[in-house]
Amino acid sequence: MNPMTISVFNLVGDGFCVEAKDGDAVFNAISKTLSEDKLVEISFQNVEMLTSAFLNTAIGQLYKDFSEDKIRALVKVVNIEKADSALLRRVIETAKLYYKDPSWLEESARRIMEEN
Amino acid sequence: MKVNILFNVHSLPVDYDQISKLYDCNKDKFFETVPIQLCEWFDANMAAPLGAVLDLLEDNLNDIVFENIRHGIKDILQRNGFLSHFGYPHQADGYGTTIQYKKMKPDDGRYFREYVTTQFLERNELPNMSNSLRKKMIEAMLELFVNAQIHSETKHIYTCGQYFPTRHTIAFCIADTGIGFKQKFKQRFDKNISAVDAILWAIKDRNTTKINISGGIGLALLSEFIQLNKGELQIVSDDGFYQYDCSGEKTEKLCKRFPGTVVNVLFRTDDRYNYSLASEDNETSLF
Repeated sequence: MNPMTISVFNLVGDGFCVEAKDGDAVFNAISKTLSEDKLVEISFQNVEMLTSAFLNTAIGQLYKDFSEDKIRALVKVVNIEKADSALLRRVIETAKLYYKDPSWLEESARRIMEEN
Repeated sequence: MKVNILFNVHSLPVDYDQISKLYDCNKDKFFETVPIQLCEWFDANMAAPLGAVLDLLEDNLNDIVFENIRHGIKDILQRNGFLSHFGYPHQADGYGTTIQYKKMKPDDGRYFREYVTTQFLERNELPNMSNSLRKKMIEAMLELFVNAQIHSETKHIYTCGQYFPTRHTIAFCIADTGIGFKQKFKQRFDKNISAVDAILWAIKDRNTTKINISGGIGLALLSEFIQLNKGELQIVSDDGFYQYDCSGEKTEKLCKRFPGTVVNVLFRTDDRYNYSLASEDNETSLF
């Protein structure tokens, strides 16, 4: 089965993928293909600038609705610069931890109050 | 009528206090004239927090009047476009060292993108920085803008900067008049902490006040970049002051509350660190 390709550049309409809300279109497109159990290739071709806020919405959010196994099996990233790939990895690791146990943030907030 | 004097404003805690004090002394005025003198020195990047508080005073229909601005200060603030907001004509920047003052709405993301492109990508006067450094700098600014957009609940975002060729640095400042770190923490966790603690909490990797979506990477990334770049990061929010530079972290409780948040960054342009190579991601599966 050939994967469906999602062009981040095309969905955002710009090479600067910056705002969190711009990530929604990418998230919705990936979500639809994952819901259908289809392979999906996310292409970052022509993307010049990325922020963590954009990637949190576009990709990090996937871990809210889909299992790690499913995402790993069906999603592939292509044409991404190595520095951007490092940022994406960090976003993914953060999302995995967050959705596994969102309550750890409350714990972190409690700690800062206890420390001071 | 009492004249408000801003004297020798650099980017130090005492200088943020001067701007906050100006706001505090005039915040209850309506339909009045607020005279301001700028004496001795004024760091151009500090136009961002100054513009932010002056806008709040103008919201009360006060008339901001600059009196006796020292020649050198007037020159730079006309060249970076700040004084155009207060009745002065804009002057061309013959030296090519200004990073223009801009006031924009939080949903003006595209406008901010144009701004960083024209100020940092399409300028020959800026030093010959590596592409990876330039990209890191711009991404840091974009993260700051998006942070203000998502978290601050501000009406406007104010930016300004300055390029210092002999010091090999670029200062960039972004300010807002939103709810600030302390209030945001209170809103999210229903707990009161000091403004300094709220800043310290927010800059820790993965700490975020967002609900139902992960985050908290932007400020941590900025802080890591500043460490590698040997630059400087300052955050002012409410009465909290935080600074990170090569000598470490420093915090301070300010005398007066700033009515919003300021993030001031100093980037070194003579940085030869290869950010592309350093951040190469060699592992196979991202997911």
